[in-house]
Amino acid sequence: MKTEFNDPLSYYKHLTLFWTDLMYLMANKPASLLSAGPMRNFASNIKKISSEIIEANEDLVEFNTHFLEYYKQLSDAWSEAQKKVNEKMPSIPNDTEQLEAYKRVWIDIFETDFTELFDSGKFGENYGKLVTSELELTKHWNNIMNVLLQSANLPNRNEIDDVYKQLHDLRRKVANLESELQQKGEHSGK
Amino acid sequence: MENELKIDPRLVEEFLNFSRNIAEAPKLVPAPDEITLETTPYDVAYTEDKVRLLHYKPLTSTQSKVPLVIAYAIINRHHILDIHPKKSWVRNLLEQGIDVYMIDWGSPSNIDKYLDMDDYVNVYLDHCVDFVKHESGTDSVSLQGYCTGGTLAAIYAALHPKNIKNLVATAPVIDGWKDTTVVGNIAKHVDVEKMVKTIGNMPPEFMYYCFSILKPFEQGLEKYINFFRNIHDENYVDNFLRVEKWLGDTPPIPGELFKQWIKDIYQDNLLIQNKMYVGGKQISLKNITMPLFTQVAVGDHLVSPECSMPLHYAVGSEDKTLRIYPTGHVGMIASSLSQKKVLPELGQWLKERS
Repeated sequence: MKTEFNDPLSYYKHLTLFWTDLMYLMANKPASLLSAGPMRNFASNIKKISSEIIEANEDLVEFNTHFLEYYKQLSDAWSEAQKKVNEKMPSIPNDTEQLEAYKRVWIDIFETDFTELFDSGKFGENYGKLVTSELELTKHWNNIMNVLLQSANLPNRNEIDDVYKQLHDLRRKVANLESELQQKGEHSGK
Repeated sequence: MENELKIDPRLVEEFLNFSRNIAEAPKLVPAPDEITLETTPYDVAYTEDKVRLLHYKPLTSTQSKVPLVIAYAIINRHHILDIHPKKSWVRNLLEQGIDVYMIDWGSPSNIDKYLDMDDYVNVYLDHCVDFVKHESGTDSVSLQGYCTGGTLAAIYAALHPKNIKNLVATAPVIDGWKDTTVVGNIAKHVDVEKMVKTIGNMPPEFMYYCFSILKPFEQGLEKYINFFRNIHDENYVDNFLRVEKWLGDTPPIPGELFKQWIKDIYQDNLLIQNKMYVGGKQISLKNITMPLFTQVAVGDHLVSPECSMPLHYAVGSEDKTLRIYPTGHVGMIASSLSQKKVLPELGQWLKERS
């Protein structure tokens, strides 16, 4: 059985998973002796960490693409605005009045051009994708942290979220009950 | 030498003065942490979770019968409405004989990530209004909302019209699709579902980013140049630092509230179409039948007038007033224009209906 790979990333992914799987299988039974310790948990979860790191690398490529586009848009807007300033104020200011006038023109043109960029669909679209790819990276980091916390027998983020949700629901229930009690009290004239 | 660059000595002098001002700044100016933003005395009348209801102490012997509850925005803190004795929104209303309460939403933490629009409108705001009604012995109160607080106030007035005698909406976010600001553009393109699921509450840094691209050169560069130029002007420095401190104090926004906010208002624009649901109830702006006073600013680059004004036309009120002021988002509430024009008009309008 031969596995073929089209690109180095797929091969790297396969290689990492192959060794982590194999090591897990080889070490699984003797290591169960230490089932109460954190290292046993960690060993059984290491595969998840490897997968997260590999996927994070893929998302990093996506992030870089949008990050570069983001700075390209800023840089293009800057060049265009500076060109407009140069056309309007071709000579170098050499007294206070000229400097003040130059500053005003520079700020007005840059402000207008950059606001136009930030208002544009192309900026909004790329910015949205940039934030999404950043969130993807954060998600992998969160997942890795969850594995580590679980290995140390500590509540992970999902479990804490459940507690937050339950607390929120309880707070709401208590508030509703208090309100109902108050209304009943008012109706009975107490 | 023909090509010799001639530099005006005044230019050199100005550069040297500017450098000197930067060097002397720490000796002349307090650190932002050393400044107290609250200027008008108040009592904390009611608290629930992290929310506080502030009751300002009267400045006149008699006060209007119907108290005013101000629902501040969910972005930044309420201090901007009382930022300086001479520019205080609250103090001006107190001096006009209006009994003023203010809702401080507090600083939500991770534990509050599941707080949603229902909690803000039907729990916190409703309980504050109930408290004021009870304390003042009135059946209804005047409610003012600023910015995103204007949206919360409009939703509340639509759901609980009997509790509201007068509604004042100051730069409210109403018609998300008509918003022409940079904030609107970003809000429309962000995957808010993923953001809330991944990071929980909306971090302040996200808002700082939005602020930074609003007027990047005037606000990010020129403002600071002017600050150092005017470092010897006590009033200028005091105003500057107060507003800067306020700008830098942005609490996180609870994840669920932020999600509904962005999706329903900016992305799907449900509120103005009367299709938005809060606490399982559909919001119809037509239910707003009490007198309405809408205030918008022509130069508002955070909430464009086109986004706020549709409230005036969507409500069921017969008594409604729309005022458009030649200023910006903050200028409308904390400037000499607000003291001379915006607040006297609002005070007069409220007194005639209280």
